[in-house]
Amino acid sequence: MSAELLTLLGAWSIATLRSATPLIFTTLGETLTQRTGIINLGIEGEMLAGACVGFAVGVATGNPWLGLLAGALAGVALSCLHAALVLGANANQIGSGLAVWMIALGTTSYFGRALVGNQVTPLPDLGSQLTDGLPFLGSFFGQMTMSVPLAIAAVAFAAWWLAHTRTGIQWQAVGESARISSENGIRPKVVRLKAILLGGLLSGFGGAILSVDYTQTWAQDMTKGRGLISVGLVIVARWKPVLVLPICIIFGLAEVAVLRMQTAGWSISPHLLATTPYLVVLLILIISHAAARRDTDMPADLRRVFA
Amino acid sequence: MLVNRDTFLVVSATILAFFLLIIGFFILLGKPPFEMIGMLLTYALGDAYSISQTLAKTTPILLCALAAAVPGRLGLISVGAEGQLYAGAITGTAIVLAAPDLPAALMLPMMLVCAALGGAFYGYIPGILRARLQINETITTLVLNYVTVLWVNALVFGPWKDPASQGWPATITFPSAAILPALPASRIHLGLLIAVAFAIALHFFFTRGASSQKIQILAGNRKVGEMFGLNFGTWVIALMAMGGAIAGIAGIAEVSAIQGRLQPTISIGYGLTGFLVSWLSRHQPLIILPVAFLVGGLVAASDALQLFAKVPAASAIILQGMLFAVALAVPGIIKSMRPGYER
Repeated sequence: MSAELLTLLGAWSIATLRSATPLIFTTLGETLTQRTGIINLGIEGEMLAGACVGFAVGVATGNPWLGLLAGALAGVALSCLHAALVLGANANQIGSGLAVWMIALGTTSYFGRALVGNQVTPLPDLGSQLTDGLPFLGSFFGQMTMSVPLAIAAVAFAAWWLAHTRTGIQWQAVGESARISSENGIRPKVVRLKAILLGGLLSGFGGAILSVDYTQTWAQDMTKGRGLISVGLVIVARWKPVLVLPICIIFGLAEVAVLRMQTAGWSISPHLLATTPYLVVLLILIISHAAARRDTDMPADLRRVFA
Repeated sequence: MLVNRDTFLVVSATILAFFLLIIGFFILLGKPPFEMIGMLLTYALGDAYSISQTLAKTTPILLCALAAAVPGRLGLISVGAEGQLYAGAITGTAIVLAAPDLPAALMLPMMLVCAALGGAFYGYIPGILRARLQINETITTLVLNYVTVLWVNALVFGPWKDPASQGWPATITFPSAAILPALPASRIHLGLLIAVAFAIALHFFFTRGASSQKIQILAGNRKVGEMFGLNFGTWVIALMAMGGAIAGIAGIAEVSAIQGRLQPTISIGYGLTGFLVSWLSRHQPLIILPVAFLVGGLVAASDALQLFAKVPAASAIILQGMLFAVALAVPGIIKSMRPGYER
């Protein structure tokens, strides 16, 4: 293969991975939450809050890592509302998620106005003298930041943790039946609280990755449905953490293809091109439902709220 | 059903809690809370002009609430009114652009029917996906919302752009035959009448007659319904499309009566607001009527407060989110305070 093609391949792979990274964190978080039998549509709002707060702190401190941390905490704070409504007041989970989203949408568009046009210090890239100038690796590592390996590690760790640790198995048990697990000495509400907060943490972190690391800007409603898409991708990934990675990469690929077509000056309307990621998500939802009966993998307790 | 003691308790506690939250919200903003609440009420209902503004906001909210209520009666959670509203705006505008010289007597019905068909089609897609493949309708409707908004953008920046409008992305101004009639010097238009008529018709559709029982049985227990020979999937598709049609009319009504042409922003989240209204009203059309009016007042007054009291534009959606959260929390909290309740 020619060196030019390899460079191009390297650039596409890393662009795809970087575009997928925010989504990997949110989808992983939602997967773990749903494994305990709780659905949280509010992760759209938690992601938005993470993006907004993360960007603000990144700008204020000049330290992107502090920004990411603050974004994750903002996600946790907002997920407390979902937990209070769903676990504290037995509210409908879908409704509660939408309420969380509305509150976050309004609040971030208010506080975010001051952030528009600001510059944030990005995470350093992982390129080094070792890889610079090499055909594939040069462009790959030159544009990679720690967020990508972190996302992959998070997926691997979550998959191992859920399947092979005592607490991971307890989480799964709660998702299958809160009643039976409580008869066996597990406290389902505590487990679900932890799962909602962890989902909030990962969504907020994913949102912060989006604004601080990936786009390096803030714009009102900048997640544009990524959190909602995550909820759909959890179904496609059949509630398995391992599958979160390839599924999110499909979405990343669609998004990168759109960006490349736009810059390559295709004569298609950019607005029309921008519909592609949503249609791709819809398409993979259709394919995954047509290919298998999804009921088999769905946590049984989730079915009651989310048939 | 309408007023028993439990509902009265829940409703009054919800209003009280929301009131307290509004006070807290204005204190956080550094505004005098009671003065602000007074202004909210004045700008929502204070005089003829305020009421006309409130009714102008009520119209799309009411239609979007009905659009959510129709599938809601079957237990479906469709949050797709926003996308269906944009779909109806597109197909309704298409007929105006295709035949701008039609007389009003032909133009208006054709425009409304086209918009309803566009919205219906956009409800039909998640409907058939749910009916045939069991794909959750909440996810698909939410994701589909983003698509039609982008289509409107593609059209008004592209083929439908009025060359005379220079930089501004919009179609030509609608001919007067394509403008929904309105009360003189107000923004109250035929759309409101249509919306109210739909609410009343849907009330009868859902409480009397043969289909009302079928829907009730299917919503209560799908398996029992199917033993009676009812097809759940068919009803899912029918009610999703019906809801979409109603939201589609909201879209063309906004374009025709309020904006006078198709441009990128038709709705300020009416779809989500309508969903909230339908939820608060437990999908009952006759309760949706007053609730849509109250929430319409909240939205209209927030607009005015933004202008006159420098309250942030985002207040409307934050207040709606808070109302939603309170309405979700209160029934559960009251229930848990009952004696004999076990966690």
